[in-house]
Amino acid sequence: MRYFKKNAQQVSRWQRTRVTHQNGTESQNLTIKTPPFVSFVFVSDILNLEHKINNYFVQQGVRKESPMEMGRSSTGVSGDSVADGVDLMACDERLYVQGEKVWASHKGEWYPAKVQKVESRMEAFTYFVHYLGWKKRWDEWLDTKKLMKFTEADVQKQLAQSDRPAVVKNIKPGQKNKTKISAAARGKKGKGGSNFKENCLITEENMLNIEIPPTLKKQLLDDCEFVTHLGKLVKLPRTPTVDDILKKYFVARVRKNDESKEAIQEILSGLRCYFDKALPAMLLYKSERKQYEEVTAEDIPPSTVYGAEHLLRLFVKLPEILYDAKIEEETLMKLQPKILDLLKFLQKNQSTYFLSTYQSPEELDPEMQE
Amino acid sequence: MKGLNGGTVRAKEEEEQEEGMSAHSPCKKSPSSSSSLHKEQSQVEVELKLLEALEIYPLVKLRGIHRHFVLFGLTEYLQRSFNRPFSPSEVLQLLDRFYNLEMLQPDDEDNEILNQEEEFSLPPSFFAKDEP
Repeated sequence: MRYFKKNAQQVSRWQRTRVTHQNGTESQNLTIKTPPFVSFVFVSDILNLEHKINNYFVQQGVRKESPMEMGRSSTGVSGDSVADGVDLMACDERLYVQGEKVWASHKGEWYPAKVQKVESRMEAFTYFVHYLGWKKRWDEWLDTKKLMKFTEADVQKQLAQSDRPAVVKNIKPGQKNKTKISAAARGKKGKGGSNFKENCLITEENMLNIEIPPTLKKQLLDDCEFVTHLGKLVKLPRTPTVDDILKKYFVARVRKNDESKEAIQEILSGLRCYFDKALPAMLLYKSERKQYEEVTAEDIPPSTVYGAEHLLRLFVKLPEILYDAKIEEETLMKLQPKILDLLKFLQKNQSTYFLSTYQSPEELDPEMQE
Repeated sequence: MKGLNGGTVRAKEEEEQEEGMSAHSPCKKSPSSSSSLHKEQSQVEVELKLLEALEIYPLVKLRGIHRHFVLFGLTEYLQRSFNRPFSPSEVLQLLDRFYNLEMLQPDDEDNEILNQEEEFSLPPSFFAKDEP
């Protein structure tokens, strides 16, 4: 039997869940394909599927008294003992799955968040989110209306389509809002019961605040346009490479007997290190993956192949990356002007370091096959 | 001293005590014993501060992906504590007196953002129209 539901494609990850009898014994060879948040499936559920399908996810969700781990997926068995039983699909408009990274709106501001739990209430799904970079006590239940898909392509579409206000006052934790800065919040060291909205200028947990200059922001938007909408790619290898640019900056910026020479060198080395790891992890659009595989065969470091276009993307993600390093707030505040200085250097050399046009994959292909 | 993550560590403290002179003192040996004692004390102060800093920046992070920024953090910490400039190489030298950094195993946490793959995307603010 197959039950096809109209929104099946919205479940992005599937798992195999073992079928159990009501008394707790697991059936031998029967597993069912389900969305990830389902903990277990009872035999009786399957038998009465036709009637139960609309209630299915109301019953499942997170059961606190269950003998199995709460909320955990019990994945199925290996290939040979799986019997292809019923393929259950989402019975409702469940757009987001557990563990998915999303944009969440809290009091009108958008923040990066992660879905911790999904439940079905009153025929609609509701999501328990954790705001990344914020303490657990801000975790809350949100409706679909308050969430947005994290990938860029969806963001633009969502902003255009919905009747949300056109102005999204994004304040990523740590970013400065020019119109209101509370001096008290700036000096704070992570304590404090001030409310979420006031503190959205400086995060409670330390995040570096990077203000990307407007012309570089435009560069990022064009970059996005080229790759995601026009299907183009940056021609690789680039000149100057990320490595070249960082070296040029060092030469231009540091005088011979500069006290902070070594410190700056350390920061630049750190950025290069991050770039090499971050590029495949989080700095590529989907359509750039294939090209990446091809140019970095044989362990070639990305910083010797890619250039300013991708380096700039690193700065968008730098606060998140640095967050894992758990740097003190005082040090972050020292780091901030140095990063900004590097951005200004990029801005100054924008016309020479950045490409003004990208190529289509067909134009690039014959060269890559050589 | 045992290092973290199973790495073993060589203590060089005993060696230092025998020498009685810190690596940072001037070449000329001071005639008065109290003066050299003073120098020893400030050296000890630096070392203590460094150990204090290591509570914020665990040693093991000096081997992972964040090592450059962690070293920068340690350097800043000492600079702030003593109100005088420190260099990263100075800090590494200091650390070398107590620990054998090469023996440390890097700790690549599973939940670290760089270990997961996700598509790049610009934050919503980039697409916001200008306020009137």
